[in-house]
Amino acid sequence: MAEFGVATPSVKVVGAKSATATGKGLSVVALRKTYGDVVAVDEASMEIAAGEFVTFLGSSGSGKTTTLMMIAGFCEPDSGTITVGGLDVTRLAPQKRNLGFVFQQYLLFPHMTVQENVAFPLTLRGVGKDEIRRRVGETLEIAGLSRFAGRKPRELSGGQQQRVALCRALVYRPPVILMDEPLGALDKKLRDQLQVEIKTIQQELGLTVIYVTHDQEEALVMSDRIAVMRNGLIEQFDTPRELFERPKTPFVADFLGAANFLPGRIEQQDGEHTLVRLDGSGGLIKARRHDLATGTHVKVAVQPGRLRACAPDDGFCTGTVETATYVGTLVRAGVRIDGKDAPLLRLEVPAGRGPVAGERVGITADADDVNLFADEQAG
Amino acid sequence: MAATLTAGAPARPRKLLASRRTRVGILYALPVVVYLLVLFVYPIFSTLLLSLKDADGSFTLHWYADALTGVNLSVLFTTLRISAETAVLSLVFGFVLAQAITRLKPILAGLAMLIVVVPHFVSALVRTYGWIIMLGDKGLVNETLAAMSVPGAPFQLLYNELGVVIGTTSMMLPYTVLLLYGVMRGVDRRLMAAAASMGAGRVTIFRRVYLPLVAPGLASAGLLSFILSLGYYITPALMGGPDQTMIATLINQQVTKENQWNGAAAQGVILLVLTLAGLLLVKAVTSLGASRKKRSAS
Repeated sequence: MAEFGVATPSVKVVGAKSATATGKGLSVVALRKTYGDVVAVDEASMEIAAGEFVTFLGSSGSGKTTTLMMIAGFCEPDSGTITVGGLDVTRLAPQKRNLGFVFQQYLLFPHMTVQENVAFPLTLRGVGKDEIRRRVGETLEIAGLSRFAGRKPRELSGGQQQRVALCRALVYRPPVILMDEPLGALDKKLRDQLQVEIKTIQQELGLTVIYVTHDQEEALVMSDRIAVMRNGLIEQFDTPRELFERPKTPFVADFLGAANFLPGRIEQQDGEHTLVRLDGSGGLIKARRHDLATGTHVKVAVQPGRLRACAPDDGFCTGTVETATYVGTLVRAGVRIDGKDAPLLRLEVPAGRGPVAGERVGITADADDVNLFADEQAG
Repeated sequence: MAATLTAGAPARPRKLLASRRTRVGILYALPVVVYLLVLFVYPIFSTLLLSLKDADGSFTLHWYADALTGVNLSVLFTTLRISAETAVLSLVFGFVLAQAITRLKPILAGLAMLIVVVPHFVSALVRTYGWIIMLGDKGLVNETLAAMSVPGAPFQLLYNELGVVIGTTSMMLPYTVLLLYGVMRGVDRRLMAAAASMGAGRVTIFRRVYLPLVAPGLASAGLLSFILSLGYYITPALMGGPDQTMIATLINQQVTKENQWNGAAAQGVILLVLTLAGLLLVKAVTSLGASRKKRSAS
């Protein structure tokens, strides 16, 4: 396992993808699934490139697992199509799709050894005995499981079992590997470690992976692109950086960045910037240019980490620090803004220069970090 | 019980407690030991002694020689054959039934289990007569077959081996269904989905995942119905002909008609040995399978 410990998950292999990808592309068009009156997945469409790591991120009931199950074939869509490597698999039985699946509960065969578990999909494909031994050995080696080959699953820890399940899903080089919250049953430390391992294996082998999780951090660490889902809809399908810095909806800004929201109205615009007059405090905040008309009611969204404390009256608003919590490298502060409604802004600032409770501070942010959303309700 | 009393004790004083734990353990075990001694060990040993005693009280093996020659030997083989047939059939029907019940909704499954088990509360004698009425020349089965003008009807369904096996299989079915249902319920259905996701078809999933997981249940259910059939008395006696005489019937005849206790005891001991042999055989087969797996993996 040590060889994976040094890998940084943020390394991108975009350039190498097309050359080394063993996985295939996948496309989903207008996929829809209803249970009675409830729309579980509503016209989901996306293109996933070969060798890409894509995560479906959402809370429970967002439709992320249903979408995955439809791709796997465990659940039949009402309408829409799924193609893998250009082949329509929408109406195929799961066993005919040749995909890999890693379950949250591992689901290793308890009557087989690790060796036999990993060999199982190869024996189904009529691979010769020597070839099976070679490929199983190779795959177990990658996951650092070679010395457990003769053990039964119940003799392994949770993390080891999930590594075996991963080996079993990738040993036959399926064009796409689907993972349904594979680390959900593991503790935090092991989860962090396996995130890096899975990501490294995925990059080295050029696997196409679709991953389901409700953990934002996990999604950000592992994914090339993330589909944020809510109520059966894909809110935004983008790279982690885009989602984090350029959220397209207030939900995405809140879900990924835990953004502060302030109501306001667009007062003035020029080529580069938009000026917004905040409702409660009356302060003026500068945002990067948005294509919204002057006078539009908007929600201003800024993430806690992108707000800075400054001298009182130097920022777009001023307030009093109510709480300041030291959390290691950061101080989390709650600042009550002066003026009507007096909202509480959450700040994350580097420890050391952090504000203290009771202090009067001004608050400022770079225009580039300020996102605006048209506020339909205030319309 | 004794273990749970001291389970919380730390490692160091465990030795000190050991003697006390043993004393307490013996106290707890006493009722069971007495029960086993009086109701199992004593009868078995006295039967054993009886089977080794001649009319004048001297040691002899001729009761065993009698039991293993001539008609007695063929009765023994008949018993083994009918028991094996019963075991296989009740396993097959039990498997299908239990399999069907596991697919039902919980309420319906409970109802189905009740239907399977309730007949067992009715006296075996009554059920056997029920079968005799059903399977006779003018019984429900033959009348129905004749009405459908099936060629060859009415069939001889009673007083032959077919009759006996129908009867004993129906008696064993609740045991096999109960045992298999328990094992099948314990199999995680999602394992089948996992196998399917890797490309396994229905037949492969059944053969390589499902069957190995329920195999221990199949072995114990088959063995149970085989052992129970070995000593079965009423059904073979009433539903079979002279060729279907089973060892239990023979023992009964020797005691009640010929007052021949020693011969009956010898046959009883043979029955017991056969049962134990069956148990050991199943155990050997299962442990052999396990060790072979271990070797092939390394």
